[in-house]
Amino acid sequence: MSQLPARRPRFRLRKWFAATGWRHVIGIVFAVFCAFPLVYVLSSSLNPNGTLLGSNTLFSKVDFSNYVNLLFNLPQQPFVAWFLNTLVIGLVTGASTVFLGALAAYAFSRMRFAGRRVGLLTLLLVQMFPQLLAVVAIFLLLNAISNIFPAIGLNTQIGLILVYLGGALGVNTYLMYGFFNTVPASLDEAAKIDGAGHARTFFTIILPLVGPILAVVGLLSFISSTSEYVVASVVLTDPTRQTLAVGLYSFISQATSANWTLFSAGAVMAAIPPMALFLYLQKYVISGLTAGAVK
Amino acid sequence: MTIAPEAPPEPPTERPRRTVLRPTPSLSVILIKIASLGVLDAVVLYALFVLLMGGSYLVFALALIGLIAINVIYFSKRMLPGKYLAPGLVFLLIFQVFVVGYSAYIAFTNFGDGHNGTKADAITGIVANSLSRVPDSPTYAVTVVQGPNGLGLLTTTPSGTVQVGDPKNPLHTITDAQLSGGKAVSAPGYTTLSFQDLLTKQTQVAALVVPISANPNDGAIRTADGSTGFLYKSNLSYDAKADTFTDSSSGAVYRDDGNGEYASSDGKKLSPGWTVVVGFKNFAQAFGDQSIRGPLLSTIVWTFAFAFLSVFLTFAVGLFLAVVFNDPRMRGKKIYRVIMILPYAFPGFLSALVWAGLMNPQFGFINQVLLGGATVPWLTDPTLAKVSILIVNTWLGFPYMFLVCTGALQSIPEEVVEAAKMDGARAWATFRQIKLPLLMVSLAPLLISTFAFNFNNFNVIYLLTGGGPTDVNASINVGSTDILITLVYKVAFATASGRNYGLASAFAILIFIVVATVSVIGFRRTRALEEIN
Amino acid sequence: MAALALAGCSGTSSSPSSPAAAGSTITVWADDTHIAALKTVVATFEKANNVTVKLIQKDGAKIVSDFIQQAPTGNGPDVFVTANDGTGNLVQNGVIAPITIPNESDYAKVGIDAVTYNGKTYGMPVSLESVALIQNTALDPTTHDTFDQLLAAGNKLKAAGKVKYPFVVQSGTNGASDPYHLYPLETSFGVPVFGTSSAGGYDSTDLQLGNAQGTKWAAQLAAWGKSGVLNPNYTYDIALNAFTSGQTPYIITGPWSLPKIQAAKIAYSVVKIPSAGGQPSQPFVGVQAFFVNKYSKNSLLANKFAVEYMGSEAAQVAFYKTGQRAPALLSAFQSVSSDKDVTAFGAVSANGAPLPNIPAMNSVWADWGNTEGAIIAGKAANPATAWTTMVGSIKAAIAKG
Repeated sequence: MSQLPARRPRFRLRKWFAATGWRHVIGIVFAVFCAFPLVYVLSSSLNPNGTLLGSNTLFSKVDFSNYVNLLFNLPQQPFVAWFLNTLVIGLVTGASTVFLGALAAYAFSRMRFAGRRVGLLTLLLVQMFPQLLAVVAIFLLLNAISNIFPAIGLNTQIGLILVYLGGALGVNTYLMYGFFNTVPASLDEAAKIDGAGHARTFFTIILPLVGPILAVVGLLSFISSTSEYVVASVVLTDPTRQTLAVGLYSFISQATSANWTLFSAGAVMAAIPPMALFLYLQKYVISGLTAGAVK
Repeated sequence: MTIAPEAPPEPPTERPRRTVLRPTPSLSVILIKIASLGVLDAVVLYALFVLLMGGSYLVFALALIGLIAINVIYFSKRMLPGKYLAPGLVFLLIFQVFVVGYSAYIAFTNFGDGHNGTKADAITGIVANSLSRVPDSPTYAVTVVQGPNGLGLLTTTPSGTVQVGDPKNPLHTITDAQLSGGKAVSAPGYTTLSFQDLLTKQTQVAALVVPISANPNDGAIRTADGSTGFLYKSNLSYDAKADTFTDSSSGAVYRDDGNGEYASSDGKKLSPGWTVVVGFKNFAQAFGDQSIRGPLLSTIVWTFAFAFLSVFLTFAVGLFLAVVFNDPRMRGKKIYRVIMILPYAFPGFLSALVWAGLMNPQFGFINQVLLGGATVPWLTDPTLAKVSILIVNTWLGFPYMFLVCTGALQSIPEEVVEAAKMDGARAWATFRQIKLPLLMVSLAPLLISTFAFNFNNFNVIYLLTGGGPTDVNASINVGSTDILITLVYKVAFATASGRNYGLASAFAILIFIVVATVSVIGFRRTRALEEIN
Repeated sequence: MAALALAGCSGTSSSPSSPAAAGSTITVWADDTHIAALKTVVATFEKANNVTVKLIQKDGAKIVSDFIQQAPTGNGPDVFVTANDGTGNLVQNGVIAPITIPNESDYAKVGIDAVTYNGKTYGMPVSLESVALIQNTALDPTTHDTFDQLLAAGNKLKAAGKVKYPFVVQSGTNGASDPYHLYPLETSFGVPVFGTSSAGGYDSTDLQLGNAQGTKWAAQLAAWGKSGVLNPNYTYDIALNAFTSGQTPYIITGPWSLPKIQAAKIAYSVVKIPSAGGQPSQPFVGVQAFFVNKYSKNSLLANKFAVEYMGSEAAQVAFYKTGQRAPALLSAFQSVSSDKDVTAFGAVSANGAPLPNIPAMNSVWADWGNTEGAIIAGKAANPATAWTTMVGSIKAAIAKG
């Protein structure tokens, strides 16, 4: 794992601590800070009769029946369908966001045109509108689209993805734009002289070099689209088409019939895809380092 | 990432255009381009056709302009930036710009609970609500029949009286009807409609009103389900010509008062109303509302403090951890990094509720276990509640910054850092003088966006404290942790008449102006930063 | 390209969604507590009338707001089921049509009252739900007539070291009280939230919180807060956990807590909440009811479905079986009398007060909970003043509309 082999084979605590040991101390402290509120969620997910926060006695019972019920025994709450829907919506949104954002970032980074500065700024400003009631307009918009193209309107996953892609430009573009700027322009100039068109330069020269930021933007977009609740709950009405965020919330939305333990089990399982995706993408995120070290 | 040593990262500057051979795209590329544009054009043309038929001329015009623009951009040999920007911009224009524009339009209407539809809908609603069943009147068994004057009702009272009538001819008793199980099912001169026939005429049957006598004040029979009827009287009558409702018992006349409702001269209103454009009324209310104006200053200060500190803390923690874990020698980085995004991977509202429980003064984990039975009022003391909110918001938000910083750190060429190290710069100085400025160039806009997001971060406030604690001695339901957006929610949505979307939109626009102004100022400073490099 | 466009047009104009077929299908929205039962009931309706019923499961908390949004676009369901407290909001938006129930006296009066707004009936009530007192019979088998007796018994158990808390009722979050759960105690002091109007139903201009008894109730809250009977830190989880772990003999809660209490193997009985202030204690009664879309193009079928079928004993017993709530139809309530929990909760509900269905109630909850919470926590220097201030601000908010 470590790229630089230790020069001295003998282990010296002080030296180890000065080099990486303190990093582990910080890592452990923050790992505890990150994880300890979620231990409650895990504990309640394993206790079918417990409450979420009724007691500080954690893991008084370890029983997987909440998980079994969620996966197999609740035809009214099709957890497996929600899970798959979420994966599809998250992956399609993430990949499309990366593609649309990278196209725009390339234009902003490599081309000079009137309104470029203002354009970049406007992209960010538009997204600052308070979302408090944007859903009203989104509902009416999708309702109108449904009347023309039912396949991409209300209660369709494509419709939801389209709404999410409305946010594809914006912060993400800016993030990529900053990264694109660090790729030397001499590379595309060289490609141009070799006779490569703009599209080929983009796809074969630039994109491979900006892998880390593509991975980061893809992950951010995946997580934000899979955890998004407000728009998804307005667009998707049929339970079999809903996402995890919408479906799981229905377990606890009514105080009198809230089922927190079942909800917790669902939340634990819902957290797996983003973490798995991150684990998978890490090598691309960090690729810059390794590539640099190899060179 | 491979970086050519001779080419240090250069900020975007105007480069002289070099004349190069314009490569000719291959035939297959051209074909794909034409095919995909053709499909798009076909789909949009169909939509245009529907829009034109439906009379939505404004949307038709906008869509037509969009379609032409896309075709020009992709068939032109120029407009290279357009080719790259158009795909994203289409989505942006439809799903963000339009949404903002529509919300802005709502700000000038009275749209909200009680003003939810069109005037025609409101009139039928008022008529329906004005009907009441005549007390102690019998339940009529009815059969819907087709007579000489169109649809009519054949009725049987519990005592066995059979009558028939239609909207123009009041009920009159007949004796030659055919009975089945005590209910008249057909009468000479009338055709009985089967239940399946009724299903194709549901709206007409529901609107069927058969008076019981020549005097309209005696009431009329209606049927809601096609088989039972009741005697109803209405206390309101609508005069379409004068556009007024008249209350037959009190004589009061209700007129369209221009605010989307019928009102009498003494101010009584009929429900429901309808949506109308009200001009700047919502803005006037937003500025004039006492429940907003009173606590406005302290709320604005706290909103800015909350948004700024949230950005600062999440960025500081995220960047710190990204740097700490960015050491090639360190083992187990992968595991640490995955744990760091845990708070981001769980549903935010669940985490906020768990934190609220952990911070319960008497029973919470923090006080009972970590602090050995202390009773620190984490969320119920006005000052401490603010601190707690910042702690939780940092927990919720730093993984985002951690991810972004981890990615952005990769854009810093090792050579630059190595060079600094060779110059003998110490770690902190390297970071402060080399890495941080480079990072800030690409991250500053993100920080501004995060600021804007937190400025309107409704969820974390609402779920943790609900804006509280409130001062019960002040007669106002605004708490010490309320930010502008939660205040707006309380003022515009939790009112005695329900949700007022018009007022909420007006507030949204005002807040948008504030945030945008602050952001533009922020960007100006960022640009200055960019030029330094 | 033009050919493609034309093909697209002709393709949709011959699509099956022609109006002729639409007449024989109705759409029904229901939450997870009703959907399973509906599936069985709907079959008889479909068969008898040769029509199709499309059931759509919705998140119960979103039914009213989604319906208000979608009904005017013509895309709402024909019929839906939800709790009665949204009735006024639905009426003022003009999205539901009044219905006529042939014999209203066949149903629990509180059920009919709950769906009556401005003197008109808007829904077919199917079930009643309210809180009651649940008592750990292993700790205390006796039924108490007054709340003071109950507290005395609870304190005795505490002194004997058998329990940790003499009595629990949940609070709200963030230091607010839970006025819904405290309401039976409050009404026993003669402090209902609204008075009733001449047309029947609550009168938003008659805020009874401000009556002469109100300050007495506020003083009692302060006293209970001081002695620890009420505690603003008992969230639902903590209160229920205290009961299921045997740390308290009494809890005020609803039937939704029973599964956890049964799972904890606590011996319990469900009884009416003893009066604390001398008058009868009345909990709020939430009523689940079916409503008909005013914009429905199938109003005949929709009315037949809601009134005739959902009002039937077969349907209401089916709802009881999946939702464990007391049926609103009296004959259906009789026929499930073998279930002692539902019978006991139903008896308490029958004497309760309908959960207010007037939109003005929106302006009451937050202030009410915050002020009660502050009084219980001892943060209000003078409970009576805090109460009067609260009444004033609620009145002002209602008047503003």
